[in-house]
Amino acid sequence: MFIDAHVALGPWPFAPLPERTAPQLVSHLKSNGINRALVSPLGAVFLPEPMPANRALFAAVRRTPALIPVPVLNPALATWREQLVACLAAAPIRAVKIIPAYHNYSLRLPALTPFIAAITAAGLRLIVVTRLEDERHRYHALRIKGLPVAQVAAFLSRFPATHVVCSGLNRPEIETLAATHENFSADIAFAEWLNTLALLTQKISARRLLLGTNTPLFDTRAQVDKLRLARLPAKTLALIGSANAARLFGL
Amino acid sequence: MRIIDAHTHPVFMHDGATPAAARRLVAHGRAHGIVKMVALGDVLVHGRLPSAAQCRRINDETAQLKRWHPDYFIGFCCLNPTLGAQAVEREVERCVTQHGFRGIKLEISNNARDACMGAVMAAARRWQLIVLQHTWSQTNIHQRRFHSDPADTAGLARRHPDVTVIMAHLTGCGYRGVLEAKGLPNLFVDTSGAYPEAEILDFAVQELGAERILYGSDLPIRETSVTVGRVLGARLTPAQRRLILHDNAAKLFRL
Repeated sequence: MFIDAHVALGPWPFAPLPERTAPQLVSHLKSNGINRALVSPLGAVFLPEPMPANRALFAAVRRTPALIPVPVLNPALATWREQLVACLAAAPIRAVKIIPAYHNYSLRLPALTPFIAAITAAGLRLIVVTRLEDERHRYHALRIKGLPVAQVAAFLSRFPATHVVCSGLNRPEIETLAATHENFSADIAFAEWLNTLALLTQKISARRLLLGTNTPLFDTRAQVDKLRLARLPAKTLALIGSANAARLFGL
Repeated sequence: MRIIDAHTHPVFMHDGATPAAARRLVAHGRAHGIVKMVALGDVLVHGRLPSAAQCRRINDETAQLKRWHPDYFIGFCCLNPTLGAQAVEREVERCVTQHGFRGIKLEISNNARDACMGAVMAAARRWQLIVLQHTWSQTNIHQRRFHSDPADTAGLARRHPDVTVIMAHLTGCGYRGVLEAKGLPNLFVDTSGAYPEAEILDFAVQELGAERILYGSDLPIRETSVTVGRVLGARLTPAQRRLILHDNAAKLFRL
């Protein structure tokens, strides 16, 4: 059974996606071989501040231990410290997620220094979302692009002691970053080529790759099959499918 | 599960043009249940406007694949319609009579609404070929001068109701593209390309019917397990899956 490092719950305004309840999401993931998932609130992507969506997430997953809540925070807001404290008090969280491209700041933001210090002190893992959708297909009035890989590289250089989980990198981006930085892991939701994982594991240790399906934006079955049907040793599949997530998030 | 992949590039940017690479690809396909692949050629290796000689080289590579694995690859003829009617007719005739190709592949030399498509469609009609047109929503790409939007490919099928057209890249065409394809029985949509965005295939089946959709991967750009998985993951009946993954293509290619 797998651990999915990249799942969301809640509404998405630009496609007729299924809006599942937490138990429905658990059932859907289980039917695809996933028995635990790190889940973030999709609504936080577009809200002016993420806490209403975080609170809704905490309430939704309270009775579904298979779903581990990952709140979204915005370090560009004046109140991120109070919001971090509120999240820590609300649920036993393992990580926090930031979505710079959608929240109108870059990874050069000065506030990221105290922000990372605070989440490190709290024993939390940082997940940086670099991309949520194919930019070619986004809603026509949105002008949001994925984070430039050079910006991610500079960020990793700026915080060499912090091991970041990047979510949304495509295959060339993972390979580019892996050539110069050891302090990140990446989910495979946006990594694709013929024999994706066989190629990727030649460039980055399998210990730094995580199953991520990007459910509900992407088809869960398709994403799981990328791993399930990969021609890799069982030990490698186990690392990517669950062991790395268990280690990185203390599950 | 038997699958026909209606959209592949076995040779891509020169990779894959050796007997060993072709053998590996066939083995890979068979491991995923793919019994035949439509080989469309290394269509962008010379840029978007290949010369007549470059088109010939691309098509000769496809023909070579067919010779190595005659029961596996179905060849499509890569064309640059802007080279003119004579060049189009000559290359199509060569590909059909010498290599047994079954269709025409059009990339981004020109838009499907351009006048130069007249010769392509006449050749398709003459040789009973299927026309596969690369298509992507131009809402965010802004290259419509030479890059076909779903509205352009649907217009091509509407103007030529006696020619079968495949509008490539369901996800790239998007919801608007699916609606453009409605009411055109000679227009099929393939599932190739792009990430496996949820729900779009369900929507296409609902609006067009499973009979109008063909499985395609766009390999090597896309992962076979993902492209097949998105069909298996959609809310479809077993009969609808069978149509998309195999039966529609088998009927279209007269297999």
